[in-house]
Amino acid sequence: MNTLGRILMVEDDPRDVELTMTALEEYNLANEVVVTRDGKEALDYLYCRGEFTSRSNDNPAVMLLDLKLPKIDGLEVLQQIRSDDRLKMIPVVVLTSSHEEKDMIRSYQLGVNAYVVKPVDFHEFVNAVKELGVFWAVINQPPPGSIKKVP
Amino acid sequence: MNKSLPMTDHLQASTDIGVRRTLARWDGESQRIRSPVLRYGFSVVSVAIGLGLALTFQYYQFRDVEVPILALSIALTTWYAGVGPAALAIVLSTAGFDYFFAEPIYSFSVSSKDLPYFLVFLAWGLIVASFSAVRRRIEDSLRQARDHLQVELEQRKHREDEIRKLNQELVRQAAELEASNKELESFAYSVSHDLRAPLRHVVGYSELLQKQASSLLDDKSRRYMQTILESSKRMGNLIDDLLGFSRIGRAETKKTAVNLEQLIRQVVAELGQETSGRDIAWKIGALPVCYGDRSMLKVVLVNLVSNAVKFTRMRAPAEIEIGCADGKENQVEVFVRDNGAGFDMQYANKLFGVFQRLHRSEEFEGTGIGLATAQRIIHRHGGKIRAEGAVDQGATFYFSLPKAYDGSEKTAGNIR
Repeated sequence: MNTLGRILMVEDDPRDVELTMTALEEYNLANEVVVTRDGKEALDYLYCRGEFTSRSNDNPAVMLLDLKLPKIDGLEVLQQIRSDDRLKMIPVVVLTSSHEEKDMIRSYQLGVNAYVVKPVDFHEFVNAVKELGVFWAVINQPPPGSIKKVP
Repeated sequence: MNKSLPMTDHLQASTDIGVRRTLARWDGESQRIRSPVLRYGFSVVSVAIGLGLALTFQYYQFRDVEVPILALSIALTTWYAGVGPAALAIVLSTAGFDYFFAEPIYSFSVSSKDLPYFLVFLAWGLIVASFSAVRRRIEDSLRQARDHLQVELEQRKHREDEIRKLNQELVRQAAELEASNKELESFAYSVSHDLRAPLRHVVGYSELLQKQASSLLDDKSRRYMQTILESSKRMGNLIDDLLGFSRIGRAETKKTAVNLEQLIRQVVAELGQETSGRDIAWKIGALPVCYGDRSMLKVVLVNLVSNAVKFTRMRAPAEIEIGCADGKENQVEVFVRDNGAGFDMQYANKLFGVFQRLHRSEEFEGTGIGLATAQRIIHRHGGKIRAEGAVDQGATFYFSLPKAYDGSEKTAGNIR
């Protein structure tokens, strides 16, 4: 087993969180997952403020970002990340229900690394989450400054 | 558009009133005498005044002024009273001239010495009258032309006002349409995003439950579980199809010349997975170049051809023919014919409805969105789509499209 990078999941729906975690657990990828429940909390995590003031100051290996979020939506979070020198190298994967062309275009314009539509079929969903987890948290070499620890 | 009709009527009425008022104003301007009694009276009075003036001048020893004075009387009569009174004025002034000014005086006979003088006067009177008449006629026609122009100008002004108002109405309606389009878009967006999420949860948790409790469940419960899963998947497909259908209606069409033959060969090749292991006799005729949105037309062809493949499943060999029927002048008509299950022509109008199906889903799978999508695309191209068929004797689908302007005579082969 390779080293495992930390995954930052931004997802407001607890059921989606549970289903995604189930999929990750199935492949032992769930140990290093941080869940934030809206755009503001995600930015708080990245900037080490609010309840995350005491966390070590490094970036996740990948961010799984939902688009429709309370307070600050996914595209705004993405825009904020890409316009900040300290954060802009974080790999961001949009994981959303929307396969509206408008959202895809906007996401890629803002420099997203991947855009994944959550499949309705559970097996496909598990598969997609697994592949994302394996690729971004294990196979991919994250930019320097990301959290990565030997499991 | 009904709203604008009363406005048009109102405008029309005000135009008529305006024109009538203008005409009345110009009638007063022309200063012509209308009543015949007055016209002939004018003739008599003007000659009488002329004679009176000439006699007065003569009394005060002013000689030879009678000719211009009487000519003036004739000219005025011609001008204001017309041709008949002018003739009367000539006769009266000639008689007056003869009686008062030509030798012998105070008699209607003319001496041989004054005869040329008399004839000169008569000729002078006639010339003056005819000049006046011609001038009057020219002025009349000029005035008529001017009136005509004025009326036209006024009508045009009103029409311009009307056009401006209709234009404003159109702009307003366009804005309304855009707003409702936006609303539709956000509606489709929330369907896409919000409806799919709970569905995914139903499927996900059912799967988890099945995995967790499968060993504890009896056969009946397992079947219930399976049905929940299948129905959820079906609902997912319906949502996706409906969204795709609505997207076709909202998307902008990017029209270019499209080589239909090339496109159909590409579509047939891409259907390879569905057709593998099947015995299908393809017959693809020469297809013309048409004018349309390539990716949308591809959707039409994919739907029609995959339908043909699907509904000939029980045939060996299945025969699928794609060709060009004789279209109208600026249209191409393409058909897709198969020897499959066909349909009852009685239900032909239902074929193109959203989620309308003529076969049970156990016989042939599908949600029933394909032909509705195809129809919407063809309609957006200004074409028509129709179907012919009979139960168990296959079906033929025809669709028409505008011809490509620069390739109207070319077949697909010529521009490849």
